[in-house]
Amino acid sequence: MPNHQLLDNITHKDVHIITQHGSEYGDNNSYSHVFIEEFQDVQAHYPIFFQKNAATGKFETIALFGLAAQENLFLSDAGWQANYIPLSVKKRPFLIGFQETVVNGVVEQEPVVHLDMDSPRISYNQGEAIFLEQGGQSPYLQQITSTLVAVNQGHEQTTLFVDSLLQQDLLESVEIKVTLDDESKHSMDFLYTINQEKVAQLDDASILNLHKNGYLKQIHMVLASMANMTDLIERKNTQIKSNL
Amino acid sequence: MHKLVRKITIVGGGTAGWLTAGVIAAEHMANSENGVQVTLVESPDVKPIGVGEGTWPTMRGTLQKMGINETDFFKECDASFKQGAKFAKWVTGAENDFYYHPLVLPQGYDEINLAPYWQPQSDQVSFADAVSFQGHLCEKGLAPKQISTPEYAHVANYAYHLDAGKFAAFLQKHCTEKLGVRHVLDHVTTVNSAPNNDISSVTTKNHGDIEGDLFIDCTGFNALLLGKHYQIPFVSKKHILFNDTALAVHVPYQSADDAIASHTISTGQSAGWIWDIGLPSRRGVGYVFSSAHTTIEQAETELRDYIRPSLGQQVDDIAIRKIPIEPGHRELFWHQNCVAVGLSAGFLEPLEASALVLVELSAAMISEQLPANREVMDIVAKRFNDKFLYRWDRIIDFLKLHYVLTQRTDSQYWKDNCLPESIPEGLQTLLKLWRYESPWQLDFDHADEVFPSASYQYVLYGMGFKTQARQTAKRSDNQALAQMTFRKNVQLTAKLLAGLPSNRELINKIHQYGLQKI
Repeated sequence: MPNHQLLDNITHKDVHIITQHGSEYGDNNSYSHVFIEEFQDVQAHYPIFFQKNAATGKFETIALFGLAAQENLFLSDAGWQANYIPLSVKKRPFLIGFQETVVNGVVEQEPVVHLDMDSPRISYNQGEAIFLEQGGQSPYLQQITSTLVAVNQGHEQTTLFVDSLLQQDLLESVEIKVTLDDESKHSMDFLYTINQEKVAQLDDASILNLHKNGYLKQIHMVLASMANMTDLIERKNTQIKSNL
Repeated sequence: MHKLVRKITIVGGGTAGWLTAGVIAAEHMANSENGVQVTLVESPDVKPIGVGEGTWPTMRGTLQKMGINETDFFKECDASFKQGAKFAKWVTGAENDFYYHPLVLPQGYDEINLAPYWQPQSDQVSFADAVSFQGHLCEKGLAPKQISTPEYAHVANYAYHLDAGKFAAFLQKHCTEKLGVRHVLDHVTTVNSAPNNDISSVTTKNHGDIEGDLFIDCTGFNALLLGKHYQIPFVSKKHILFNDTALAVHVPYQSADDAIASHTISTGQSAGWIWDIGLPSRRGVGYVFSSAHTTIEQAETELRDYIRPSLGQQVDDIAIRKIPIEPGHRELFWHQNCVAVGLSAGFLEPLEASALVLVELSAAMISEQLPANREVMDIVAKRFNDKFLYRWDRIIDFLKLHYVLTQRTDSQYWKDNCLPESIPEGLQTLLKLWRYESPWQLDFDHADEVFPSASYQYVLYGMGFKTQARQTAKRSDNQALAQMTFRKNVQLTAKLLAGLPSNRELINKIHQYGLQKI
């Protein structure tokens, strides 16, 4: 059972969070979720794909960091080698939980901050303090809270974006096949992307509709992000060379 | 100018009527100005029979072609997955007597016939388990796919179990709202003839005369057009397939998360067999039997005994519905400008779910070969009749096969089923041949056989039939490929057992999240 606790300034008053990046802190995932609001920053560094959630079958948008499971090619001893780190990585080890509150007799789901106490980022002697001496929120926690709000909204808006792509039949399955400098072959068959030809064939009304929702721009961000596949493969080749 | 076939009038609703309407309307664009016009006239008082809760894998393609969303189908038709049938107590009648007829073909079926290679180890592994993984999936109650598998796609080939009443209503909605089928709820009082003896129109009580260039008789056992109007004789097959009565019940689950079997369970009884079909909200169970071999009272007792372990005391209160069956079919199915689809064409018995697949095959052939005009209709009609007479015969052979290989002698029913005079000659010939040669593609004449040779293998070897090994050598013998294929099946079985969710779990997820289109 994951140990997710509702954050409060008594239980967690001494907890600090290690904010460096490294595989020892659970950053060695080959992807993370990304949200449409951050596509502009994400596409500058990582390829953006779609994949199905294993538990629900629903499409999610991801940034790809590696060519194999548990491989993040952006990690080095010096940390995370990119100028932008996706929100869903930055928020760790915090999570959004929902609490039922009664407002004017109506039960509402209110988002609240949870902390994953099993995370290797939890510390009592190094890293960022969550609470100030007097119990107030530290600037770090304030920043995390706004990240969590962005993630929460990002989920909803990204779901709408994906639904719109599916309605227009714009997604397609893509198999990534890579042959590296050492002749080793890697393939990934669980990814989906936007079909560029289908986008080009959309009628005027559909294009206008996508544009009005701000989706047309995001579609092009996703398409442009494919250029980062070359960068990813290069990183892998560099890694192979340095391991020789 | 020959009279175009533009107006298609279907008489009778139910699954046969609406499936036929949907298949034709979707292909021939009934919702556009230049398409055909499809009208379905249905009596408001006649209740559809509503059995036929099992389909074939072909239903996936049929629904997809009609533009149906599989998630909607699951939700609205109380549908679940069917991966084949488990036949219990058909061979010896003992408690541990069972075999599977799975829906996946034997491993490597397009390159090797595994039956002769399996035979020497038949005492260690059943045929179905040696050549396919699906029996294992069924025994464990697993689903044939994952939530991330796109709609209509499969990991293991599957068909459906469904609520026939809900299915007809679901199809009706889709046909009328999406496919442009006109629905007339009215009684047909008279069938009107044209000078050439075609049907020109049907007169209804409140909607006047409804004309048509082609009439499709989906009026069930009544066979209002082909039987009553045209007097096409009915050919009884009761001397081959004895079952003439069914008793059907709905059995509730004890709790909302009870396992849903992902296969039809059919269990041999003293004078027939009991079907057991798991839907998400209930089970459909029924005893189909020969009234010449038992009494209604005795049959009711056997049925209640079957469901007693799941219901306890409640079993005595459960309502039993009696359905008479006349096993057989019409001498012809397409006469003049009228073609019968569904029970009006015939019915044998529920074994192997052949009823709905015949509806699909009929609708598909009518749609694919829809005569352009009256001039060429008789050509298509003859083809249709030839094809379906052949199909009915093959189905009869295949159904009879399930009975003739029994070793049961505990009741007259099973003994009578083995009497040579009850076995069609064609089947007798094949059985003789199969003693020396296992069933394979060339045993059958048509490229689009209803039951492939694989189905014959599953039943034959499931029931313990022995094919003798050939005494002389053959160049094509490939022991190495056979052993590799057996091993592949073992590996695949382990992989799928580890990766697939339970049938109940997946159906719950489909209701909650839906299946993706890609």
